Amino acid sequence: MTSTGLRTKRNWSWHLSLGWLLLLAAAALLADLFSLPTGPDLLRSNAAPLTPGHLLGTDSQGQDVLRGMLYGARTALLVSIPTTLLASALGTALGVAAGYWGNTRLRIPKHWLGSVAVALIFYIFFAAPANSVLAGWWPWCTAGGGLLLSVALSRFSQWRTTVALPVDSLVSAAIVFLAALPRLLLVVLVATAVTPSVTTLVLLLTLTFWVPTARLIRAEVRRIRWLPYLEAAVALGLPAHQILLRHVLPNCWHVVRTAVPLSLAILISLETTLSFLGVGLPPELPSWGRLLAAGRIAPSCWWLIVFPTIALLLTALSLRRLVAAPEPHSRVLQAP
Amino acid sequence: MRLLPSLVLLLVLCGALTGCTASTDSADTIRIRWPSDPETLDPLLVSSPQALEVINLLHCSLLTSNPEQLQIVPWLVESLPKISRHDSLTRLTYQLRAEATWDNGQPVLARDVAFTLRVMHCPGLPTEFARAQYGFVQEIELDSADSRRFTLICSSASPDIVLASGDYSILPEYSLDPLGTLRAVPLALLRTDTAEAVRRHPALRAFAARYRQAQLSRHPDRLPGCGPYRLKSWESNRYMVLERKAGWWANRLPKPPPWLQARPEKLAYQIIPDNTTALLALRRGSLDLYPMPTARDFTAMRASADTARLAFYTADSYDMLVVGFNTQRPMLRTAATRRALSLLFNIPDLMQATHQGLAYRSVSLINPHDRLAYQDSLPNLIFSPVEARRQLQLAGWQLRPAGGWWNGKIGPLALRISYHAGATEHETVALQFQAAAARIGVEVQLRPAEAGLLQQQLATGDTDMFIRKTSGNPFAYNFMPLLHTRGIGLINYSRFSQPAADELIEAITAEPSPERHARLLKRFQVLLRRESPLVVLYFTRNRLITTRRVTSVRTLSVRPGYDVLSLQLASAKP
Repeated sequence: MTSTGLRTKRNWSWHLSLGWLLLLAAAALLADLFSLPTGPDLLRSNAAPLTPGHLLGTDSQGQDVLRGMLYGARTALLVSIPTTLLASALGTALGVAAGYWGNTRLRIPKHWLGSVAVALIFYIFFAAPANSVLAGWWPWCTAGGGLLLSVALSRFSQWRTTVALPVDSLVSAAIVFLAALPRLLLVVLVATAVTPSVTTLVLLLTLTFWVPTARLIRAEVRRIRWLPYLEAAVALGLPAHQILLRHVLPNCWHVVRTAVPLSLAILISLETTLSFLGVGLPPELPSWGRLLAAGRIAPSCWWLIVFPTIALLLTALSLRRLVAAPEPHSRVLQAP
Repeated sequence: MRLLPSLVLLLVLCGALTGCTASTDSADTIRIRWPSDPETLDPLLVSSPQALEVINLLHCSLLTSNPEQLQIVPWLVESLPKISRHDSLTRLTYQLRAEATWDNGQPVLARDVAFTLRVMHCPGLPTEFARAQYGFVQEIELDSADSRRFTLICSSASPDIVLASGDYSILPEYSLDPLGTLRAVPLALLRTDTAEAVRRHPALRAFAARYRQAQLSRHPDRLPGCGPYRLKSWESNRYMVLERKAGWWANRLPKPPPWLQARPEKLAYQIIPDNTTALLALRRGSLDLYPMPTARDFTAMRASADTARLAFYTADSYDMLVVGFNTQRPMLRTAATRRALSLLFNIPDLMQATHQGLAYRSVSLINPHDRLAYQDSLPNLIFSPVEARRQLQLAGWQLRPAGGWWNGKIGPLALRISYHAGATEHETVALQFQAAAARIGVEVQLRPAEAGLLQQQLATGDTDMFIRKTSGNPFAYNFMPLLHTRGIGLINYSRFSQPAADELIEAITAEPSPERHARLLKRFQVLLRRESPLVVLYFTRNRLITTRRVTSVRTLSVRPGYDVLSLQLASAKP
């Protein structure tokens, strides 16, 4: 196959994938414009597709499947996009810190460490009386107290000396800990104990989903840390933040860019799984997972399985296709 | 040749696996579906319908119910008790059957009944429910001349106490306390002053330790019963097999009534949590009896071609779906607000959607089939958001232009409704209510919660509204736990408290005359509608599917919905 043939084939499927994702985004954004039944149609539960008023049928609670599909797309994106961005940001920050500083290169004055430790202990083990003025300001009070303590301790020479913070070990330990626990189990356990909402689910998923990005970024930064241009930057005495922002991050950006669509696909599937299990999201929020769960109750209603499965499959495949496809404007493809 | 050891190993493995798989398939076994494990089989700690079903097969109580004729009938005793009243006390004199014996042939005696009552009140045992349920039995007097005759002295005059006085499994003293160490402990002292009882009788502590060590919850085989069956095997969360005793004492009765005849040779309860799997097992012939399938599955199966192999039964039940308001919430404190919100339930459509018509309406907690007590002059609740809006305005609520209903400083009217997570029926009700409330500008937040969390929310009042199933029975009306002030923190989840209602509930419990009892019940239903702490949506029908292999099926209105003792296999029928 010629390179032109390859390019044409890849472009065709790539555009198709992009088209589906744009359609999905449009459905999620414009769902309100369609006049769809909002409440359950109790007398038409489990109605087959093409029933008057219910183009794609209804589930066992009389909820419109088309509405579930459109608003389900919104829910999927509402959960997966912020989670992907937050988890990628967190994973990138921790991975860069672990890879760049390792266990010895980040040195912190003792008075900083001491004051942060004291402030944390105060915050965790003590609380202001619930009816006092301090109650709402307690986090700020402890932070302020820590700052004052730091200033006070810095007057003593033995507290001004620095100690190495083992960033790499700490981040690696957190990675190993989270990777050892089955993610779904962890999320289900926590999600059943808290009030279901989009915000709590996004936070929960973020806190458990930064690991793959952090692991990839850490490995990449460890690789580039000893390359000559970075050694030169250090030798020139450039500050750490400048090196990280101008030299390290741009050079590991391709890792993030590859990881994001894959994370998005996994998170959409995870949101669907959680909705299928009935945890994490409020029950009135339509979701593809809920439609699939309704299909479990009424196995003869094929439309409850087929439509959400197709949507889920196409979304996951499209996101993977976007990652797999070479960049349309890269030099390789543009070469004759 | 190298293949030979592998083949031998494979055969051994297959053999071992087959041996490990317990088989409940047998020609003389009736296989019944259970959705969950009974968890505990200690007769004093019954916590699930499954456990109750088995305990009634392993053990006998003094009285039982004949649910076909909705009557209380004697079981271990010869006849219903002789009742005499002295002041506020009721004396119930029982005579145990001469034929009633334990498995070892020893007779069931009055001292076994006394022992059971003492165990219920024994400190150190988690028998709080039994204590609350049977705490009205103040003392037991044994007849010195007849070891099978005794009198229970009860602190209530209500007709309902007759059933309650004999509605607990009798435990064998010879097995649990062979030295009779508890005989010296007065029941009255155990009931009133536990600390003093332990101080005077240290044997109580030793007995409680022995009882706990026996772990009867998981080892019911350590507790001989005088019921018709014995436990053959129990694999937790998989199956339980019961075997009929060859020499059960009731077989010696000349003309045993139906409740003293055990027909099935073996009963295998198969625990299949998933409904679809259970249906598949029934279709494949791996199950004989499927009690309480979902209404949707039941109607679908009945309409399918399976009717040639399967039989379908229904019976009116005493299970009802109830919505409760937390009456101590400022927003829901007024009865007028609660009445207005009650109009937002589209009950006929909900009955159709969740039960396909296998449910029936009621104006209150009384079953409409109880013609004497049912208040039929009350109209059914109508579904009318317009009327609900009007009644909210009459109750003092005003819809502000910025949105939300306000009543003075109280508002906006926004409600949280709690229900069991995963209960589709409850969720459908909640979604319908939410949609109807949204039409008049009331925001409703759904709060599905796991069983433990829901229980905690209900007990502490951490919810505005709740949806739950409640079960009644045809023999007694005791609204004390459900709606009396003393029930708050227990199962009075609506936290309803009103002196007039308390008085009426107490009067109902104490009234011996059936006519006056019915009149009081009717008054109570009117009060319940006026105050609306609860909305009864509907009563459900028991549903049962059996294979044609099973005959003599008798459906019942009370749990488990069928008479297990009457079941027969077509091949075994004489």
